[in-house]
Amino acid sequence: MSTKHAKAAAAFIADGERTHWHDQALFFVREKRDRLSKGVPEWEELRDMASRIKLHTITHWIHYLEEFEKNALANGIHVHWAKDADEHNQIVLQIIRKHNGKRLVKSKSMLTEECEMAPFLEEQGINVVETDLGERIMQLMHTPPSHIVLPAIHVKREEVGKVFEKYLHTEKDNSDPTYLTHAARKDLRQKFLNADIAMTGVNFGIASTGAFVVCTNEGNADMGTSFPKVHIASMGMEKLIPDDESLAVFTRLLARSATGQPSTTYTSHYKKPAEGKEIHLIIVDNGRSDILGNEEHIHSLQCIRCGACMNTCPVYRRSGGYSYTYFIPGPIGINLGMLKSPQKYYDNVSACSLCYSCSDICPVKIDLAEQIYRWRQNLAPFKLADPTKKFIVKRMKWVMNSPGLFYTAIKAGKLLKYMPRFMIYNGLNAWGKGRELPDFAPESFNAMWKKGKIEKTDKHEKS
Amino acid sequence: MTSKDLIFSKIKGHTHHQYGKPQMNLMPMSFNDKMKSFIEISQAVGGAAIVLEKDKDINELIKELYPEAKTIASNIPLITCRTMNPDELEDAAALNGTDLGVVQGIFGVVENGAVWIRQSVKHKAIYFISEALVILLDKTHLVNTMHEAYAQPDFNDYDFGCFIAGPSKTADIEQALVIGAHGAKKVTVILT
Repeated sequence: MSTKHAKAAAAFIADGERTHWHDQALFFVREKRDRLSKGVPEWEELRDMASRIKLHTITHWIHYLEEFEKNALANGIHVHWAKDADEHNQIVLQIIRKHNGKRLVKSKSMLTEECEMAPFLEEQGINVVETDLGERIMQLMHTPPSHIVLPAIHVKREEVGKVFEKYLHTEKDNSDPTYLTHAARKDLRQKFLNADIAMTGVNFGIASTGAFVVCTNEGNADMGTSFPKVHIASMGMEKLIPDDESLAVFTRLLARSATGQPSTTYTSHYKKPAEGKEIHLIIVDNGRSDILGNEEHIHSLQCIRCGACMNTCPVYRRSGGYSYTYFIPGPIGINLGMLKSPQKYYDNVSACSLCYSCSDICPVKIDLAEQIYRWRQNLAPFKLADPTKKFIVKRMKWVMNSPGLFYTAIKAGKLLKYMPRFMIYNGLNAWGKGRELPDFAPESFNAMWKKGKIEKTDKHEKS
Repeated sequence: MTSKDLIFSKIKGHTHHQYGKPQMNLMPMSFNDKMKSFIEISQAVGGAAIVLEKDKDINELIKELYPEAKTIASNIPLITCRTMNPDELEDAAALNGTDLGVVQGIFGVVENGAVWIRQSVKHKAIYFISEALVILLDKTHLVNTMHEAYAQPDFNDYDFGCFIAGPSKTADIEQALVIGAHGAKKVTVILT
């Protein structure tokens, strides 16, 4: 039984050259992250600190949320609370309606993706323009992003050229990245100047000051908030941190982990709305308070959405973001999807070789691979475990637990000759595809030992 | 029950073990020659930092660096080469087409080449919409890391503030680095 991930991945890897290109593009980012992190001697201490700050904050959530709200209100920010995605979208719509808004420019926000806000607003007649270049490309292509930091990582420049020809009237067959980027700059400049509502996500909310921080390289969030009267910022509750001292730790980790830069180009701090302007901050739960109660998966709440786990994941790099059924792909997406709905998203837990590379590099030390392993162990209660695998494992356990049976099987050659073929080449098991078992030795070690064929040799003799 | 109450009651029910705040007793990296490193790292992030020579006039230097700039916006009186004071504009959108913005930085961060800008202009748009940006910075105002940056005693005196590290950039098309996604295509920090 192949999972949906395996089936989608099979389609992705059918184009070998493209798979290799995708793999290399992401590993290039991973290597940049390595170089930058090695330039900071206290890197591991920072990771440890970041992890503990987040865990501290979410286990004192009410205290910090209250403090954050109090300070933000005192600064003149409108604070809204949304228990779920629907409420979030309704709040956004109400704010837009109150100001007779028609044209909304937004920067990249995983939370608004999570709430499926853009299609909802479009249905209500609001024109929503994505302003991050990668997101804009995906919006014009009418497909979702395939990576949380590099939304168009799977798209070739020629494909961008084609879509820009159609919508931005760029030169035919010109796929030069600089030319295309500057064409988008020109087009989006007009959208910024004529927008009546700006929307951003939030990278960090600072309880002690009531301020929030938005990080971009393009400056699109800043351009967006510079002209319209109203700025709506959506923040998942887990983005909260206690104070500026904590913020220092995270601003040092985020861009180094995400793209291998010492910082993002723009790290913007919003505290008080400018005269005559409004800032609306929506604090969103949407399942986060449930994760808090799940001790095996609580660390997922520490995520700062840097995407490093995707860039390093050998499965993600070779199967692409669209192979996953949850909107966030890669190791963190596997876990967040399972926390959202195991029944809906269990297909993704197979998209992991348990190499633990994600756990090794996560800047906030989320036990990503360990969690995926635990999900796999616990699929049975959800009646989601693969029945074929369960059958095989049960038989194997029976054979392995009995030395007599095991050696009999080996001696008779049955286990080697027949069981592996049945186990591995049954057409249902992905492991059997594209792999051949090595040739087995005619005699087992155990048999040779018993016959006295094994001679003890001094291991230093040959060296 | 409001949504806030509902969320809080769920948090209460789901909080089990409470973890303490870690000690922030880190010994972060530092730089022997802060100015030299700041100049190097500014270049590495696509920008530039140069020292204003003793007898050099700042307006002359700006003219040399940006000979083609026709509209120069600044609210700093010292910048006599400006062609307009952006604070006199009613509408921020009128800043579109500004060739060069000259703005004041508060301090620079050596580890990432970023300069802390505390909004001191009427329209923050000037920091982002100008085709090129010159940031004036006192060369003695350099800190090693973000830890020192946030520990500056007057750090929190801002309504809007932004760390700017080099020009606007993107690599969203095939990971090819392109300068000038939406904001300034060129950024020069002048150390005075």
